[in-house]
Amino acid sequence: MPITSEILDDTVHVRIEGELTIYTVAELAGELLPQMGAAPRLELDLSQVTEMDGAGLQLLAVIQREAGIAGTALSVTGQSQAVTQALQLCRGAAS
Amino acid sequence: MSINLDQAQQTFIVEARELLQAMEQSLLQLESEPGDQDAIGAIFRAAHTIKGSAGLFGLASIVGFTHIVEDVLDRLREGNVAVDAALIALLLKCGDHMLELVEVVANRGEAPTPAALERGEALREALSAYQPMRTATASVETAEVADDAAVEVLWHISLRFGVDVFRNGMDPLSFLRYLETLGQMMQVTTLTDSIPPMDSWDPESCYLGFEIDLRSTASHATLNEVFDFVRDDCEVHIVAVDEAPDSPAAMGSELVTQTEQAPMTPSPQRLPAASEAKTRDGNYVRVNADKLDELINLVGELVIASAGASLLTRSCNNDPLQEATSTVSGLVEEILDGALHLRMIPIGDTFNRFRRVVRDISQELGKDIELIISGAETELDKTVVEKIGDPLMHLLRNAMDHGIESADARRAAGKSAKGHLNLNAYHDSGSIVIEIADDGAGLNRERILEKAQERGLVASGAVLTDQEIYNLIFEAGFSTAEAVTNLSGRGVGMDVVKRNITLLRGTVDLDSRPGQGTVVRIRLPLTLAIINGFLVGIDQSTYVIPLDMVQECIELDKHQRQSSRDQGYLDLRGEVLPLVHLRDHFSHEGPAARRQNVVVVRYAEHKAGLVVDDLLGEFQTVIKPLGKLFGALRGISGSTILGSGAVALILDIPALLNQIVQLEARTTQAPPSPPVVAR
Amino acid sequence: MAKNVLVVDDSSSVRQVVGIALKSAGYDVIEACDGRDALGKLTGQKVHLIISDVNMPNMDGITFVKEVKKLANYKFTPIIMLTTESQESKKAEGQAAGAKAWVVKPFQPAQMLAAVSKLILP
Repeated sequence: MPITSEILDDTVHVRIEGELTIYTVAELAGELLPQMGAAPRLELDLSQVTEMDGAGLQLLAVIQREAGIAGTALSVTGQSQAVTQALQLCRGAAS
Repeated sequence: MSINLDQAQQTFIVEARELLQAMEQSLLQLESEPGDQDAIGAIFRAAHTIKGSAGLFGLASIVGFTHIVEDVLDRLREGNVAVDAALIALLLKCGDHMLELVEVVANRGEAPTPAALERGEALREALSAYQPMRTATASVETAEVADDAAVEVLWHISLRFGVDVFRNGMDPLSFLRYLETLGQMMQVTTLTDSIPPMDSWDPESCYLGFEIDLRSTASHATLNEVFDFVRDDCEVHIVAVDEAPDSPAAMGSELVTQTEQAPMTPSPQRLPAASEAKTRDGNYVRVNADKLDELINLVGELVIASAGASLLTRSCNNDPLQEATSTVSGLVEEILDGALHLRMIPIGDTFNRFRRVVRDISQELGKDIELIISGAETELDKTVVEKIGDPLMHLLRNAMDHGIESADARRAAGKSAKGHLNLNAYHDSGSIVIEIADDGAGLNRERILEKAQERGLVASGAVLTDQEIYNLIFEAGFSTAEAVTNLSGRGVGMDVVKRNITLLRGTVDLDSRPGQGTVVRIRLPLTLAIINGFLVGIDQSTYVIPLDMVQECIELDKHQRQSSRDQGYLDLRGEVLPLVHLRDHFSHEGPAARRQNVVVVRYAEHKAGLVVDDLLGEFQTVIKPLGKLFGALRGISGSTILGSGAVALILDIPALLNQIVQLEARTTQAPPSPPVVAR
Repeated sequence: MAKNVLVVDDSSSVRQVVGIALKSAGYDVIEACDGRDALGKLTGQKVHLIISDVNMPNMDGITFVKEVKKLANYKFTPIIMLTTESQESKKAEGQAAGAKAWVVKPFQPAQMLAAVSKLILP
């Protein structure tokens, strides 16, 4: 399973492992998006992401947007080198 | 960055030769079955691949010519051009010309000869008849914009990616990364506002957009090219910010939404040709033939060294050492077999090449001749294969020219109008036999005999078997006699054929039946490198006789010595066995040894006894060819080095036997035959 | 970790040239001599990009692309098709199958390298 999530107090902790790419976004979106609004806070751990592409970037953008709509406070607690590089390339658009 | 493609170009040359060979086979196949779609596909693919690869190496002459050929083949494939004899003939010539161009490259870039260029021009002309009415030169647009001014410009690039970009395997981030390599990304803004609401959003669809400021020396065209692969469904908008809006660089600022409407004519789906199951590259390693020769040479030395070690071992009484040496010898022998096997190739490729020859010559002669090939899988040494092509070609040509009659003559003789030519190969006791058989008129026995007597090749009144008479046409003095050509049913140059085959340590003979045809049989050794030898001694010298020609050995007793010396014959269990006294033959001085032995040798139908002093046993022998200086030496085919370091000469048994046969032919009447003397 | 590029062409000289160019830039190259051979090599190992000829024996490039698009682990792999200007109808068919990147033969090694770099960097 490339994604683990647990709810502690008022926070949903989500950790993505492996690829954050076109090969995984459909599955990740299916897991993640329903959790929006389940708790006041969402913490996203991206430190175990090995690869990220445009589809992954778009997924992060959607999560950010949906969090705003649902009134969930989103924070990224960790990001791997692959994530950092991708975000830098687009000048941190999604975070 | 310079990339060295020399080695790849060698691969190309080898590959192109193979492809042209395959193209020729398929063309011939197409000629016999004009509807064969697989053949058409294979022909097209050959030309197509050659053109594509030649372009990689900038070989413009090959690309240019092949392009036109390919164009016609494409029309053939689409059914716009029909298969007919003229087209096949033209395409065969085109293949020849392509090979010619490839060989020019192989020979290190000499320009094609004027004659070759002329041929190419004529072929282009002929091909144009099969092309649609249009300017023959393909309009290859080179939309290259010169990057002359390397001035750094601030570009603004606006990107809107299409929904299918991810699905097509494209990653927008990759294009951004690539842009980074072209200049400095001053600013990037990622646009996510066109991502639809969650309920209608598909994570695998792309809704991303970017606004980028890039400082770069790259031209507008270069930047535009970056997005070539996504142009279909993306909006790309590139503007130079620094420059005045009417400058040429800003001209490309219109929306480049490509509306490339490729003609969607569904081409008939071709099933993958199952007949081409040969995956040539999968299971083979290409090895330079020189390296292989070097290896075989080394293995040869190893054989000699190992034999030397065995000899030494035998002289010291050490059982474990002897055992070890014999293990080594066994292994060396296996390595030798394996190494020689590496160089064995089927003769089929050579045979198949003749399909074209037979086709061309039979058309030229106005005869209908079918070539039937069998035994194509028979293997023999590559070095032999390379050298047998010319003699075979000559024999085939002669069979077609003079052997097979015209259709009218054939019908008159009650035979089918179509002539048949059989090319067959098989292994026979350490040799390969190649047969060229025709069903023509056969040789004119009487006429040959008459001519031979006229020319003093045969003593008048000599009694010869039919076969002996037929084989006279291989004699130098005979076959050059032009007047005989048509009557004999064989052309000039048969002596040359024989000489070439003899140089390969092979023999050729011929059999013919009046009205039924002629068979020429060539017998060749499987390899030129190594033979199993039988050592014999005369005085202090050692000679090697190829073991597979040795039948038996007999000791000569005193009585026999005298009588055989007088007659030149030995009574071998009631059979007359001609003797060759090697001592005399090779002019060894001094008296004969006290003991003498006879080695009975046989080659093809001939048998003789070689009189020697000592029998020294078997020895595996690596043949070292004699230098040119000794080329004319009769009776010796090479030399070898013995384990002791001494040199031994290898006897050319076929040549020795031949001398006897000739002498017999000339002196049948003259009693008693004098001993064969070295010439 | 170097990126794997699968080069599919029945011409060994084309494979060799593409291989030399890509290796010089730091890519790893896997070779296959036709579509069928290539499908056999699309198992297990990650392939980041495919370069394929169109006209090949056993399985042509278009059929190969269609097969790749059926493989869950490879269906989004970028594909560069090698073509000649005389293959417009093939190109349309290939584009419909999802192969959008086309490089026209003949190409210079540097051109091939540029095309690959646009889709993935080593």
